[in-house]
Amino acid sequence: MTTSLKLNGRLTIEELNALPEIPIEGITYDQMYIEKEPICPEYQAPDQDIIPLSNRSFVMDPGRICMPFGAMWAGVGVHKCIPFVQGAQGCTTYPRYTFCRIFREPVSIATASFHEETAVFGGRKNFIEGLRNLIIRYHPEVIAIVTVCSSEIIGDDMEGFLEEARDSLEEEFGPKIFDEVKFVIIHTPSFVGSHVEGYNRAAAAFLKTLAKRSTPNNKVNIIPGMITPGDIREIKHILKLMDIEGAILFDISGTLDCPLRLPQSMPYYPKGGTRVEEIVDMGSSLATFALCHDAGEAGATYLEKRFRVPAMIGPMPLGIRYTDSFIKNLSEITGKPITDEIKDERGILIDAMADTFHYTMGVRVAIYGDPDIAAAAARFSCELGMLPAIIGSGTESKQFVKDIWETAHEYDFEPVILNGSDMFEWEEHIKKNKIDLILGSSKAVNISKEANAPLVRIGFPIYDRVGYQRRAYVGYRGGEYLLDLIVNTLLESKFPDDRVHQ
Amino acid sequence: MAIPEEYKLKCDFTIPERYKHHALSNGKEPNIPASNIKTIPGDMTERGCAFAGNRGVIGGPIGDCLQVVHSPAGCVWYQWGTRRNLSAIYSWAGPGVLCNDSHNRRHAISTDLLEKDVVFGGMEKLEKACLEAWRLVPGAAGILIFTTCTSGLIGDDCHAVARRVEKEIGKPVFVFDAPGFCGVSQSIGHHHFNNQFYEQITEYREKHPEVCMKEEEKGPYDIAIVGDFNMDWDLAFIKPLFEKLGCRIILVFTGGEHFENLIKLPDVKLNVLHCQRSCTYISKLLSQGFDVPYVNVSLFGLEQTAEALREVAGFFGSEDMKQKAEQIIEQELKVVSPAIDFYREKLSGKRVGIYVGGPRVWHWQRVMQELGMKVVFGMCTFAHNDDYEKINARAEDGVFLVDAPNEFEIEECLERFKPDLFLTGLKEKYLCRKFGVPTVNSHSYEKGPYACFRGMVNFARDIYQGVYAPVWKFVRDNDFI
Ligand code: SF4
Ligand code: SF4
Repeated sequence: MTTSLKLNGRLTIEELNALPEIPIEGITYDQMYIEKEPICPEYQAPDQDIIPLSNRSFVMDPGRICMPFGAMWAGVGVHKCIPFVQGAQGCTTYPRYTFCRIFREPVSIATASFHEETAVFGGRKNFIEGLRNLIIRYHPEVIAIVTVCSSEIIGDDMEGFLEEARDSLEEEFGPKIFDEVKFVIIHTPSFVGSHVEGYNRAAAAFLKTLAKRSTPNNKVNIIPGMITPGDIREIKHILKLMDIEGAILFDISGTLDCPLRLPQSMPYYPKGGTRVEEIVDMGSSLATFALCHDAGEAGATYLEKRFRVPAMIGPMPLGIRYTDSFIKNLSEITGKPITDEIKDERGILIDAMADTFHYTMGVRVAIYGDPDIAAAAARFSCELGMLPAIIGSGTESKQFVKDIWETAHEYDFEPVILNGSDMFEWEEHIKKNKIDLILGSSKAVNISKEANAPLVRIGFPIYDRVGYQRRAYVGYRGGEYLLDLIVNTLLESKFPDDRVHQ
Repeated sequence: MAIPEEYKLKCDFTIPERYKHHALSNGKEPNIPASNIKTIPGDMTERGCAFAGNRGVIGGPIGDCLQVVHSPAGCVWYQWGTRRNLSAIYSWAGPGVLCNDSHNRRHAISTDLLEKDVVFGGMEKLEKACLEAWRLVPGAAGILIFTTCTSGLIGDDCHAVARRVEKEIGKPVFVFDAPGFCGVSQSIGHHHFNNQFYEQITEYREKHPEVCMKEEEKGPYDIAIVGDFNMDWDLAFIKPLFEKLGCRIILVFTGGEHFENLIKLPDVKLNVLHCQRSCTYISKLLSQGFDVPYVNVSLFGLEQTAEALREVAGFFGSEDMKQKAEQIIEQELKVVSPAIDFYREKLSGKRVGIYVGGPRVWHWQRVMQELGMKVVFGMCTFAHNDDYEKINARAEDGVFLVDAPNEFEIEECLERFKPDLFLTGLKEKYLCRKFGVPTVNSHSYEKGPYACFRGMVNFARDIYQGVYAPVWKFVRDNDFI
């Protein structure tokens, strides 16, 4: 059978259905040639007036998701903690899909299963029953009670419901039940903020509910923000090199990247996650480092105000300067020296930068992500001699704008900043400018292909490639990894093969 | 019949309400578990919301409309380009450049309801959003508005908005109203979409008779494939089969379809109904309102696909078509039998559990038998009685059935029945793997298409790869040191 060259060896639907025999391997989608049908005969430019989100009444391709998702993320990072979502089932099932897509791990999140009558009469009954059912079967150590749009609109009084639920739990199981399970309520109406704020609120809620002040413990608290298990492991590695004892609030490295080892406990619980005792103890620490300003600041500030634990907030330790400042602060707070090993790690990153600047200098990048990571990626881009021309954050943040301008002044350039805008507006800027490289999540894949600007995957969410969740972007070694990704992507796409070997 | 004592799952001792959802299949006296009733709060259900059924399953695949979700940004984000409901219709990325993903998956549009909208209502915002979206994405065939919990609770009259927008843009604007909480599972969302689609096309056709097929355009063998959403291009195998038979496919409801064609749904001679959970409603409405009959078919597996062809040929009654059906069946079996024989030999005697939304549990009973496999348990997220009737009829006796299973029950069934493979979805597959049980993604597939004769080879291959992947050897030999 002859197939035309344009099909690249792929078969049209007709050819496919005329094949005299289907091979044992089968014929899959990637071998099929599907002729694209344009939605209308020709391209018509979108109305320019309404490209800025501020001139529009709708978002197209939002760069943020709902607030409860951030709170669930936090809850999932606590050992034997199950988020209980007070709402209809979708608000739980969809986030679970999202976790699975990104981390390729199971996540247990319970729902109050609101149905029609709940919307009318409120979620009291579902809550009380649901909590009981969850506890008696799963024996969680913590339940993170997460509200959503619907429960907030119908005005569910969660604090009151919890009181009632406690009474009936005590009746059924006796008072010892409260030694076994703790409850944390997190209010997260999505119409008020994004997943970033959800995580932020969860940090505050967990600490308010659990943290206590007792004898100083010489530890530093780390609130990492919505970064990868690999990132958290890198932070632990840094602490270890500096001989500092740390406590991570929401340690997803032990819950969202787990070994497959039999036998498994039933019900399934990951081994890791932040322990309740660790959270309790956070009121007695030396300081709290919230690595992401917008996802963690509320927790750190609470501890500072309540227990006078100094709060060190942001910037995300990614790239040279931001990691430098994290390490310096760690050293100052703890009095521990910056060890030679750390200086070597820094040196290796700098060595890699020295080896590659001819590839990176002058490269025009577009960046999109959650505010802290986008700001940090912009700074690291500058450190590599690249030019972050268009920088967008899906979640609005003052700090993001401030950080970017600081970087812009230092490196003397004028970026387009999209603060709290959607990916569509960002995309339109990319299509109108000369952009060589995109730093963004899996949600930027289409834009990258259409604008012919290669994509380096970073931030939330990455679900279309494997392994990213295990890698670190933070710290000097994370910088090294990101640098390699950036340079290799440039080499792959911008350099002819005969120019890449010296 | 109540479930025998020894079959009672331990994890449900403390929520015995669950036992009525369990049954053992029986061909002669069907055992129907309780279904389509309220979920038990906090039981770690796998069920989703009405919005998932409404837009995620049925509305989402429509190829050329603007889909405006009246909600905070969250609901739409979750559905953005996730399900593999593919289409050939692409919008433009720039002059001469088509987008990288089909139109229905490329963008996500939401009115992004904020606090003030929740307090003061979002109708004005919705209207502006539709009109603006229209200016941003010119060329779409119409607008579909979907509600979610938030818009449902604030009580916006989306139909009023739709009528105004329709006037303005001169294209159909339909509303699909199924807030997430409006039923016990995704299923209610299917139902609402069906009813509302039917009502709105009926009304639209009355007002705009030019959109209907004219008598002279109609053919004797015009059919609609109803209830197929083109997962991983299943339609690439489904459509040509019926075309070879001599049918003309006017539309697919709704996989990758043009709106213009969808409106012609009442003009066909026959509905070939594949997903009988999500789309029986509209087929019934069409047969009552427009005298368009439907036939139920399964387009998975060899025998069932063959039966589907015979059924359709039988309906039209043409001898020529009946003969063609036999020729096609004979031919297709020849095309796939070397591969299928290979897999049957490899898979014979293997035990399999199936957990899908509903229909695929009965669609696939016989497919598994064709591969020589033994189904040991079956689970459905949102099935109704009729689904369980079909399962009872098609399964061997004694298959353990669980309605609306929760995570713990799944774990216990894996331990108890020790299947060699579990056919399930994205959420559950990672859990199963932690217990050392291989899976095949049964919603969006691994490497499809899986439909019809030719797709069956892909399905069999993915099952084979699941069972025989070397990794499972390492998982089980725990005492390697
Ligand atoms: S209703 Fe709110 S919380 Fe639920 S998915 Fe939608 S945006 Fe998120
Ligand atoms: S808010 Fe309602 S419609 Fe949206 S995902 Fe949640 S349950 Fe579904």
